[in-house]
Amino acid sequence: MKSKFVSNIFAIFFGAALVSYFFLPLLAMGRFAFQVTPVINLTWDNLFEGWKFDSITRALLNPKVLETATLTGGLTLLTIFITLLALLPIATFVEVARPGWKPWLTAVTILPWIIPPVALVVGVAATFRPFAPWFLSNPLSLSFFYAIWMLPFSYRAIAGQLSMIGAKTLFEASQSLGASTLSFFFKVLLPNIRNSLTVATLLIVAAVTGEFTFAALLLKQTFPVYLIDLQSEDVRSGYALALLVIVATAVLLSFVTSSLRKRGGQFNAIGV
Amino acid sequence: MKTLTRLSKEALVALPMASLVSVFLLWPALTVVFKSFVSDSGFRLDSISRALSGTYQQSFLLSTQLSMTTAIIGGVIGFYLAVIVDRMKPSSKIRSATQAWSAVASQMGGVPLAFAFFAILGTQGIATHILRNFGIDLTEMGLTLSSFWGWVFVYLYFQVPLMFLIVSPALSAMKPSWKEGAHSLGASSSNYWLRVALPILFPVLITGALLLFVNAFSAYATVYALSSSGGQLVPLQIRFILQGNVITGEEDLGYALVTVTMGLLALAMISIQVLQRRFARWLA
Repeated sequence: MKSKFVSNIFAIFFGAALVSYFFLPLLAMGRFAFQVTPVINLTWDNLFEGWKFDSITRALLNPKVLETATLTGGLTLLTIFITLLALLPIATFVEVARPGWKPWLTAVTILPWIIPPVALVVGVAATFRPFAPWFLSNPLSLSFFYAIWMLPFSYRAIAGQLSMIGAKTLFEASQSLGASTLSFFFKVLLPNIRNSLTVATLLIVAAVTGEFTFAALLLKQTFPVYLIDLQSEDVRSGYALALLVIVATAVLLSFVTSSLRKRGGQFNAIGV
Repeated sequence: MKTLTRLSKEALVALPMASLVSVFLLWPALTVVFKSFVSDSGFRLDSISRALSGTYQQSFLLSTQLSMTTAIIGGVIGFYLAVIVDRMKPSSKIRSATQAWSAVASQMGGVPLAFAFFAILGTQGIATHILRNFGIDLTEMGLTLSSFWGWVFVYLYFQVPLMFLIVSPALSAMKPSWKEGAHSLGASSSNYWLRVALPILFPVLITGALLLFVNAFSAYATVYALSSSGGQLVPLQIRFILQGNVITGEEDLGYALVTVTMGLLALAMISIQVLQRRFARWLA
């Protein structure tokens, strides 16, 4: 009994330490962004003085922020479009008609783990730069690499639900009722996997909003890349905006986990 | 005729994915591998051996060290957290909050995360300030965010929740009858863990550690934002060569660094696949 008590106490301490580890940096970030008192002059007495929210308004009204956020928004939409266009036909086909292909498809979608962004960028520079420089000069070209990079996650979100709803049975049923393949796809399949489409979409939104490696190395000024510049120009605005990104990502991903839990799934962090 | 239409139908559904992967992933990746082994004068190994010697060898050692350290520490903490949370009731609020937060934090990283740690532990950080008032100077002790242990501390922010997310499903898949069986045969709690639970979970734990390793090895943005001295890590060395590729011959070195990195990560991912199959057999 006694040892149980000790292990419970230990667990509580452990939990408290983890909570501080995860949230104190965010609180400190918030203080930095919204309190004008420099750290050096900070004491317990003036802790509640000098709080101002001008930094976030300044950040949001910054034309460069607007411009880079628009680019990142466009990249997000394009990435979602490319992902769905590439993934939906083959994932459905494999589930309905070629279950034997599944291990191959799974293996392909794991490849981005082996070829991380920084490695892929070197390859991209070696191939696209000499053959199609016009392609890389358009910042929207990043979306193709983003779609690849998110493949482990987007594939698992969609494939998981396809097998759960019994896509094969649904297909046979709709065929025997005289539906064409296309009307099966649009009228039966898509409405049934709406949940996983939402999940895949939100994961892409969260990831593209924070993606730094591809954009920075290919010299494209997306929103996360600009965040570093902004921080060196106007520290408090940079911090305020970075905090806003973290909070927005947290809200998005909590929505993902809760909608996954509703269908009995769990967040697949690994895509393996 | 019928086989022809069927074939073209298969080609049509596979085409978007096949072209995306081959043009934007395989072509660049295989070109890099090819170029690191073949030059105008034929097959060669000199750039690979350069990538594995001198400064670059140091980089691989440092990156491996960082990835292993964060994989082991993050793995142990994440596993212990999963064990505690697994004991809670399924309806527990703490349980669902931990799961949701882990999903968020495991995907965090990059620039915003580095900013958050600067705000608390940077030279102007609030914790640094408080500790200085108590006479503890972190900078003097060498414990800065741009030091090795500083990186480890920040990396744990996404490594711990990632491990938690990997182990949790395996823990809830453990059958209660195993524990009851062990106890009715007279096993103590630690006996059960050492002789039953850990051996069964072993493949999952190693899978988790390997994935954490891969995750840390390819992380770029966080350490880039944290420190310029992070330039010693492999991803930043690759960047250095990529951006300074005006010097001829240095490109080949960059290709070789990438090839070695991909080889290392491929090894880890293949081991994961083998281990996963083993764990699936246990659950069957």
